Amino acid sequence: MSMGKNLDAVSLGILWDRLISVTNEIVQTLVRTSFSSIARENYDLSCVLFDAKGRSIAQGTMSVPVFIGTAPQTMRHMLNAIPPDQLEPGDVILTNDIWMGTGHLWDLNVMRPAFRNGRIVGYALSISHLPDIGGRGFSAINLDMYEEGLQIPICKVIKAGKLNTELIELIRMNVRVSEQVIGDLMANITATEVGCRHMLEFMDEYGLDSLEPLADTIIQQSESAMRRAIADMPDGIYRNKIQVEAFDEPVTLACAIHIKGNRLLVDFEGTGPSLPSAINVPMCYTRAMAAYSIKALVLPHVPNNAGSVTPIEVKAPHGCILDAQPPSATGARFMIGHFVTPLVFGALAKAIPDKVQADPGMTCILNVIGKNPRGKEFATLYFSAGGFGALKGLDGLSATPAPSNMMVMPTETWEVLTGIRIVSRRLRADSGGPGQYRGGLGQEIVLQNDTGHPLTVFAMGARTDYPALGVCGGQPGATRSYRLNGQMIHPKGRYQLKAGDQIEILEAGGGGYGPAERRKPAQIAADIRLGFVTREAAIRDYGYRDSI
Amino acid sequence: MGYRLGIDIGGTFTDFAMVNDDDGDLTLEKLLTTPADPSIAVLEGFRKLLDDKGIQASQVHSVIHGSTLVTNAVIERKGAAAAALITEGFSDVFDIALERRYDLYDLRLRLPDPIIPRSLRAEVSERMREDGSAIRPPDLNEVEREVSALIDCYGIRALAVCFLHSFTNPEHEQTVANFVRRRFPQLYVSASSEVLPFMREYERWNTTAINTFVGPLVDAYLSRIEAGLAKLGFSGLFHIVTSSAGAVTAQVARQFPVRMLESGPAAGVLMAAHIGRRIGMPSLLSFDMGGTTAKGSIVRNGRPHKKYEIEVARVHEFKTGSGLPVKIPVVDMIEIGAGGGGIAELDDRGLLRVGPRSAGADPGPACYGRGGKQATLTDANLSLGYYDSKSFLGGRMALDKAAGEDAIARGIGKPLNLTLERAAWGIHETINEDVARAFRVHASEIGFDYRRCSMLAFGGSGPAHAMRIARKLRIPKVVFPIGVGVMSAIGMLVSPLSFQVARTNRVFLDQINSEQFGKFFGSLQEEVSKVLLEAGLSEASTTVHRSLDMRYEGQGFEIEVPLPDAKDVTELFAQLPQLYADAYKEIFSLSFIDEPIEILNWKIEAIGPLPRIRDRCLSRGSQTSPEPRGRRRAYFPESGFIDCPVYDRYTFEPGFTVQGPALIEERESTCVLGHNDRARLDNYGNLIAEPGTSA
Repeated sequence: MSMGKNLDAVSLGILWDRLISVTNEIVQTLVRTSFSSIARENYDLSCVLFDAKGRSIAQGTMSVPVFIGTAPQTMRHMLNAIPPDQLEPGDVILTNDIWMGTGHLWDLNVMRPAFRNGRIVGYALSISHLPDIGGRGFSAINLDMYEEGLQIPICKVIKAGKLNTELIELIRMNVRVSEQVIGDLMANITATEVGCRHMLEFMDEYGLDSLEPLADTIIQQSESAMRRAIADMPDGIYRNKIQVEAFDEPVTLACAIHIKGNRLLVDFEGTGPSLPSAINVPMCYTRAMAAYSIKALVLPHVPNNAGSVTPIEVKAPHGCILDAQPPSATGARFMIGHFVTPLVFGALAKAIPDKVQADPGMTCILNVIGKNPRGKEFATLYFSAGGFGALKGLDGLSATPAPSNMMVMPTETWEVLTGIRIVSRRLRADSGGPGQYRGGLGQEIVLQNDTGHPLTVFAMGARTDYPALGVCGGQPGATRSYRLNGQMIHPKGRYQLKAGDQIEILEAGGGGYGPAERRKPAQIAADIRLGFVTREAAIRDYGYRDSI
Repeated sequence: MGYRLGIDIGGTFTDFAMVNDDDGDLTLEKLLTTPADPSIAVLEGFRKLLDDKGIQASQVHSVIHGSTLVTNAVIERKGAAAAALITEGFSDVFDIALERRYDLYDLRLRLPDPIIPRSLRAEVSERMREDGSAIRPPDLNEVEREVSALIDCYGIRALAVCFLHSFTNPEHEQTVANFVRRRFPQLYVSASSEVLPFMREYERWNTTAINTFVGPLVDAYLSRIEAGLAKLGFSGLFHIVTSSAGAVTAQVARQFPVRMLESGPAAGVLMAAHIGRRIGMPSLLSFDMGGTTAKGSIVRNGRPHKKYEIEVARVHEFKTGSGLPVKIPVVDMIEIGAGGGGIAELDDRGLLRVGPRSAGADPGPACYGRGGKQATLTDANLSLGYYDSKSFLGGRMALDKAAGEDAIARGIGKPLNLTLERAAWGIHETINEDVARAFRVHASEIGFDYRRCSMLAFGGSGPAHAMRIARKLRIPKVVFPIGVGVMSAIGMLVSPLSFQVARTNRVFLDQINSEQFGKFFGSLQEEVSKVLLEAGLSEASTTVHRSLDMRYEGQGFEIEVPLPDAKDVTELFAQLPQLYADAYKEIFSLSFIDEPIEILNWKIEAIGPLPRIRDRCLSRGSQTSPEPRGRRRAYFPESGFIDCPVYDRYTFEPGFTVQGPALIEERESTCVLGHNDRARLDNYGNLIAEPGTSA
């Protein structure tokens, strides 16, 4: 094992874990001070520390997967726009640029250099999802990025300690729930301050003049661990092609994963073109989801940094829906981008059948804008999860978000916040894909507009035409659907709800693993007893015969 | 005056600590726990103490008891057949849980099964709005039908009543619970608004489910002990220690058995706080490290930091989110999967990791010679010379040093290309870092500056690590109390009667006045005082602490703001914005926020008088000369292996000072002093050490 100078496995482990712990502390600061329920409840945020060369060395462990991949690129763009020699102590840089940031306008990227004895020794970057960014609101139906909201180029929001109040006012005038948006901006600024302070304390404590030797070792160590894991997979080209529902016609997503020795390339050749709706995926997001998928399969527990993603090469045809170009709208990029994970898992099912997971039912998002019964306006998201995919030896968990970790608000919190009644939330029997290991169940949720005001709802749901597929002989889960006052509605529309109107969501189930006929009768009987599978479905799907 | 007895049932041992109120004389006893019926060991130990001291049971005026009964019942699922009545449309909340993955990368993550299985949950067609107004009242005929069916089909013995928004208006829950209690008196019934009226249905209902699941069990257990004590002639007060380290009457424990979770470790922290107050160190880190875990707590101004959430029955022992969340008042403890049995191995990065996998007691560390092949922390500490293969556990257990070193060399040294001493030191130091890191994160979460406080170290492994950890945290003083192995039982002797209530009531500061503010706190105060008055205390002898969870409007996480003592609580109202701003600043540094402030949770605690243990120097020293009892080779990173003096703590007299490097042994642990560390025995028998500046 090769280590940096004077840095053996003991010291390296200690320093590395400490750095990660620092990022976790910053994430906590951000979670606790965030106004956006999306950021705080769903960990749709992250904090990353960089060395003086701008290489990511440590990242908070709790956050949605996308930021693993985007943060290092965002950092590079920031330093290209404002080189280190134009930075001074007390500067804070900001952007929500789609292409240089995280792939949509709602994520704010805030960066601060850490100065020590007049020299930059590192950087702290914090990212979080804002409650609003103006435009027509967070939805899938915007036609281009200009409809989506305010674009903030890379710029200094604080210059040498002095807040750029014009910029703050500009943002304030362009967004809904402006006090929350500005509150979240401030929370990010505080988080980077805490991050830099901790970074300097860390260096003092361990007597480090520079983070670079440590960064070299961390990055190299992570990279070689990832390369070893890649080398453990059999060489070959593994292909997969899936259909995903878009607005009118389905989109094709395809990939070929080339594994040769310790090199891995995910090539999204054969993927269909971008569309005039807000479900296009910029390359930064595609790359991040591909890296997350590979990492979760083969090396889940190596910490995130520049090294752990370097070995995963990603390319896609220019302008395809996984490499969207300006001025495409990208707000609901996750609606297509989240499919990168099941696409990659499906491709690798032939290479590593014991590790892959059947498709998940994924998450439904409703963007709701209205006023609560007390007349206070809100713009927020309602998440609800479908079933998790089954794995070898393990049934899929019911109602579990995937691939992103978006957490549902408790019914009580939701009703207090919005006054939108949740009439019921139940597990959906028979929605899990049959298999030797059953897919997780989706849910049935009924919402009612009891706010006393009109309510605007943007639905953003997938798996309405194409179910979560099973793997290794497992069967698909049930599809997702929506009803407004009993009538089926388009899963990606904008709806005006009058007082008393009801929306019903049927959440998709996860796919099954392995042939259903191999499922143990005792497990089938237990499913029937608990109501997860009905007797009729057990007979139909599993050939179940009970002893009555 | 007379005797008081503290009894702590742990997984392996049942510990006893009895104090004579007249002279402070303390008697300690340890018996093996009797898992099938823990009351056997309790009663046997009580009898033994009476015999040893030659006293009558009637001379013991109170017994204070803590037990792992509730924790174990939840983990092993050995509670009563319990069912739940739930708001129509929501009985699957127990399965749906938080809809969160506690590990984003582990696709094979699992969750514990719900406490009340799906088939034992019935729905009731009632509904309350978020403002507490009723949409639909419960239909008691339906309730009767459902409960009868649950009794007939499943023979249930306990019932949880879990309705939405009952924290705002408990009326529906109360109506149903009272009806069931009258109609089916054989059932143990809890309503979620009684157990803890907090917002967030899953956590509140889960807490209620656990309360009912263990209720009948705890009731039967307490009855057995009460009967047994009576038979021995005991007629004094019988109190139970709770998770928040306060004592309650057996009656209150029967009503809120879920509040007994983790009461033993909580009492240990209380003891740490007690010692700290007595020796003028009111703010400290309590550090308890045993065979499988290390526990850390923060004591601020003499009081253990508390919180209102704990997780039990984790699928992955040290992964937050993999267990069942429970909302009860608890002493806030960080738990680190690191103890003497912690296994040293390589992680996915190829770097050294110690724990959370543990060799446990069997086979135990490699040096136990019971077939353990993997290197553990104890093997490292033995190899470094901190432990002695002959005097470990007071000589009750001989250790095989060669076997331990072999395991270290094979498992760590060779793959990482490290010498034996570097590998052993690496294992030791990794744990020090893990503990220091956990303390740092925790302290920053609650805004506590540990650099001006002391550390109190106990447990079998704590004293071997405390000085190094203190150096890392720049803590100026470390206290090693006596009786490190039975701190919880001693802690029970200083546990005051207390009771806490917390209620969610979301209001904006600018929407209420001082009168309404006072009125709401007044109603909470009545609730807590009632419990203490029923336990025989007078209003005058109780102290009340209030705190509020506050936040800026719309912000997701609230900050707990302790309120200063006040005769007239309405006077505090005007100070609230400032108190909140101060607390916010302390945790997050200053912010630019100018937003309305809201109150979310209202918390109140009433505490009875603190029981006193008479001061008494407990060291039974007979030798006057401070001579080491021997020397052995021990490793210190600044000097490598040196010939290090070894002292017998039981020979120390007050005022005696030791200069590091030194090893100070007692029966269950060894205190390791490094270069430039100094320690002194105080008048109470505590060893008080000051870390030297790092070399």
